Amino acid sequence: MEPGRVSFRMLHNKDYSPLKRKMFCPAEEKIVPSEEIIKGFEMEPGKHVLITNEELESVSPDRSRTIEIAEFIQTGEIDPIYYDHPYYLVPLKGGEKSYKLLAQIMRRTGRAGIAKFVLDEREYLVTVTSRDGALVVSTLHYSDEILPGKEFAPEKSSVAPEEKTGLKESIKKMMTNFTPGKYSDVRREKLMAILKKKTNKAAVLAPETESIGAEGVEDLVAALEKSMHDS
Amino acid sequence: MSKYTLKINNRELAVSNLEKELYPAYGFTKGRLLEYYGAIAPYILPHLKGRAITLKRYPNGANREYFFEKRCPPHLDWVETADVPYGKKKQLTACMVNNLETLIWVENLASLELHVPLARAHAPETADAVVFDLDPGENADVLDCAKTAIILREMFLKLKLYSCVKTSGKKGLHVFVPLNSNRYGFKETKQFSRAVAQIVHKNHPDLVTTKMAKESRIGKVFINWSQNDASKTMVSAYSLRAGEKPFVSCPLTFQELESRALENKPERLQFKHDETVLRVKKLGDLFKEMLDKKQSLPYL
Repeated sequence: MEPGRVSFRMLHNKDYSPLKRKMFCPAEEKIVPSEEIIKGFEMEPGKHVLITNEELESVSPDRSRTIEIAEFIQTGEIDPIYYDHPYYLVPLKGGEKSYKLLAQIMRRTGRAGIAKFVLDEREYLVTVTSRDGALVVSTLHYSDEILPGKEFAPEKSSVAPEEKTGLKESIKKMMTNFTPGKYSDVRREKLMAILKKKTNKAAVLAPETESIGAEGVEDLVAALEKSMHDS
Repeated sequence: MSKYTLKINNRELAVSNLEKELYPAYGFTKGRLLEYYGAIAPYILPHLKGRAITLKRYPNGANREYFFEKRCPPHLDWVETADVPYGKKKQLTACMVNNLETLIWVENLASLELHVPLARAHAPETADAVVFDLDPGENADVLDCAKTAIILREMFLKLKLYSCVKTSGKKGLHVFVPLNSNRYGFKETKQFSRAVAQIVHKNHPDLVTTKMAKESRIGKVFINWSQNDASKTMVSAYSLRAGEKPFVSCPLTFQELESRALENKPERLQFKHDETVLRVKKLGDLFKEMLDKKQSLPYL
């Protein structure tokens, strides 16, 4: 789960049961059980190439239990657009010493290790860097996943020199150092405040899914309850 | 690599690698593993007999990677097996550890832990006991589990049900109510255990939770009633557990539990391999009622 993200369960408004997702076949208008579901790659609308789980497995790299660093680079060399998602690494039992050593050396030298690493069946290019004595793996985009900025830059049009100096001046005035703590996710904070207020008085209960109120069980519950209080 | 051939009950069995450290922090080798299971065999075998065993194997020692083996690994023809349901539609062939030679064979595979279902292999849908798996959350410990176990026991006494308790060999306790009747399936035992867990939670909300979520468990004992299921297994009484030291999932009496808990030292509720062997020689099998005591669940 992403930190900081507030996620919600979908509930049925009649009885507050948490809802489940099911696969629905629009042609037959019915719910399809998992054993009838296969995978296809859409070539064009309505036309699919089937692929089996065995085929998928045959191209998935073996899960790596170790990260082998192939080379070291200066951290500043990486264009930030390549960074995808950071994860903290924790050492395996017995690996604490070499973990610590690597974290210290990388911090001192300002270097990042480049490695390939398999996560969720996909092989990622990652950097390994040091942060507060811990090692951080950041997945990187592969270069062919990065769209060239050219495609999005507007066509050339002439800018007057005084406009340029004006903008330069105002940027200069707004210069400061980056302090991320100054900013926070305001929507999230407001949302959490609402939720906190509500949990105290307005929490709703889902119905029992396995009927504890099934036949005869009321008597059991009553007997158990009684046994708690008899002395 | 050392290799020996043992002859047990006229069957030959090769064992190997006896000097391998299996609890390296403690200094407990595979030789000592075989020695422990050999000594405890008369007490553990009745609890394994006729059940589809799940082996939890630690080929490189208790602190390294392990795997659960439900399918019986390649074996000699005298190893008894059973075909049991696996998932909704499939079946698998599991080992049954019915005698000493099979026990030593599975231990030679570094099966530090032996797990068993709550049903015998010939009737995999019949629950022959109800279990209450007491698992302490963060900031709770085995002493809180002991309090919970004693509450459960008093409740069962009032319902005229016999119950017994063992350490998990890790941080928790396991309380059992033997049934040994063909009247109950897991639907009933689950209903019973769930109702019990909910009532205990209702009356002791600061001690007990019935929710699996980690945050609900902080400072509390989680009564895991959902272990009462045909697909679940529990570690057997007298099985070792993987950990730093060779602790055992060891039966004890409720009187002992109470007096040891009063000493307020969690380590008094852990039993090592050698202590367990001394205990059974003195006290016998405190879990023997699990084997044939017949009981009925009230109102089910």
